[in-house]
Amino acid sequence: MNPDATPALYAARPEWADVEPVQQYEKANPLAPILYSEEYKDATDYLRGIVKAGEQSQRVLALTEHVIRLNPAHYSAWQLRYETLVALQAPLDVELKLMDELADKFLKTYQVWHHRRLLLLLRGGGGGDTNAPPPVDAAEAELMFVEGILRQDEKNYHTWAHRQWVLAFVNDDILWGGELDFVDTMLNRDLRNNSAWHHRFFVVFASGVREGEADRERVVRGELVYVKQHLSLAPNNASAWNYLRGVLEAGLLPLGTVKTFVEPYTVPLPSMARDLVDLENPPPGPGAELPCTAAVEFLADVYEEEGGESTEKAVTLWRSLANEHDTIRKKYWEYRIREAVAK
Amino acid sequence: MSSELLTALHVAYIQSLGKSTDDLVYHLTAHLRLNAIYWGLTALCIMDHPEALERDEVIQFVGSCWDEKAGGYGAHPAHDAHLFPTLSAIQILVTYDALERVDIPVVVKFILSLQQPSGVFAGDSFGEIDTRFTYIAVNALSLLGCLDQLDKDKTVRYIKQCKNFDGGFGSCIGAESHAGQVFVCVAALAILDRLDEVDSETLGWWLAERQLPNGGLNGRPEKLEDVCYSFWVLSALSILDKVAWVDTGKLTSFILSAQDPEKGGIADRPGDMPDVFHTHFGIAGLSILGYPGLVDLDPVYCMPAKIIEKKGLKKGWKALERQS
Repeated sequence: MNPDATPALYAARPEWADVEPVQQYEKANPLAPILYSEEYKDATDYLRGIVKAGEQSQRVLALTEHVIRLNPAHYSAWQLRYETLVALQAPLDVELKLMDELADKFLKTYQVWHHRRLLLLLRGGGGGDTNAPPPVDAAEAELMFVEGILRQDEKNYHTWAHRQWVLAFVNDDILWGGELDFVDTMLNRDLRNNSAWHHRFFVVFASGVREGEADRERVVRGELVYVKQHLSLAPNNASAWNYLRGVLEAGLLPLGTVKTFVEPYTVPLPSMARDLVDLENPPPGPGAELPCTAAVEFLADVYEEEGGESTEKAVTLWRSLANEHDTIRKKYWEYRIREAVAK
Repeated sequence: MSSELLTALHVAYIQSLGKSTDDLVYHLTAHLRLNAIYWGLTALCIMDHPEALERDEVIQFVGSCWDEKAGGYGAHPAHDAHLFPTLSAIQILVTYDALERVDIPVVVKFILSLQQPSGVFAGDSFGEIDTRFTYIAVNALSLLGCLDQLDKDKTVRYIKQCKNFDGGFGSCIGAESHAGQVFVCVAALAILDRLDEVDSETLGWWLAERQLPNGGLNGRPEKLEDVCYSFWVLSALSILDKVAWVDTGKLTSFILSAQDPEKGGIADRPGDMPDVFHTHFGIAGLSILGYPGLVDLDPVYCMPAKIIEKKGLKKGWKALERQS
């Protein structure tokens, strides 16, 4: 379909003369003439006509594509399109090519992603009911496509969820093998992208243990190095601090494990760089805005975890958060102080 | 920018929405029509103007959205049934005390048919799955008094698997924490009396961290603020009894600053075009914040609190005290 040309209305096309259009229900009000797009009204009138007649044919594919282009959120059009594809056993590569274009165009629309998911299920040889995964090369192509979309819209929730579904559903080491490089690419573009940090956690900790990763201590150590380096580059990064907590929890390690690392981030930046760079504990980079609020929160939690005399130190830090560094959450920090003192 | 809630303007704005049916936007959003009526009606109830819409006309419209074949409601007459408008239809009819219009056994069957073997719900027979639909199903079944027909353990098991390391919840297994998804999961667990599954200290902190220096709330770390999160974050906080953990004064000012002082309505953020979705969630947020003159909103069901209380469905949430 040439999107530039205004197509003739279905009502004026002889090849559609056998379909009886069904008008949208309107509140009877002859005084209010309908002024909205003739093209949209005409197309959806014929869509309703097709649904009523139960037709599944090539022209239904053309009509549903037309309606979807006018209104990608029209879920009935998507549903009819999918059912027709299945009934006609239409070539999936043609459909996928069209979907590549539509997903790119309407990437915020959930239906676009759900339709791709159904197509992948069909590639696995089944409809929505069977659960055979598609061939790995089809899944690889899907991940490549998803990557292209995420490069344009780096935090698109549906796109990330779609990627996670493909990975978990196909569950093939070839696919998993490329994921950490992919996360790196995304974090190099924006190291505060929470979706990318979440995805890293999903790949490393929340999707099972794959071959070569059985040594969990080593995996945890590697992730600690990774997140510390990123914090050193940009300390004020809530996503990375959350990731650090997540890694420690996954490794069943106390927060105090990284106390030495965290401390320099909780005080003003020293005017002179330290001579000795400790690779386990990369210091804040030059120009870092310190003290970093998230680091102060973290260190306070370390002190609370230590208990005993350290509790007083935690309270001091919480007081500084309540009154200076994070006044918007004053009530929360006061709550933490009350709770710790009451223990 | 106004420092007060422009109630009269918002009432007029919501009333005007159904009247411009000649507008293309009206038709492009037909798939949200029933939801829009629920948003508008609930906002009106919270502003204490439930009479601003024609009760009989609305009830008749809801009836015309019934999808006989599927046994649920579509968003608009002749649209396919979907969980989303089905909940809206039930909420509207409960609000108008007209639940006798619903063929309860048939709707319950429709809702239950959408539960997947994994425990999550699909929105319709097309199969989109999301914890949002789980909440919708749980809420609707509860309002219909048929929660006992749900496999609760199976439902809770799926929600549990959506819990992330930051204490939040995502749309499906593996997905990132998102304030909207946190609301639906926490509210569903509240209705199912399973809040023990929530790590409320970690989650409460994550929710409080959603507040930005301008007072607004975002839905995920490092994202922009948006008025609709005023409800999703606040409702979850009120279910966990932690509303005070955010700066409620600043948040109130932020919501008020997103009002359209000429035509009424509330936008996603100051300066943008208002819509009924943000108007509803802005006013719902203000109610939880104890804004003077508003009616109490039940954050679990997102409906007037009195109605939920009368049905004996009230859970242990806590909003801020109403200011006078």
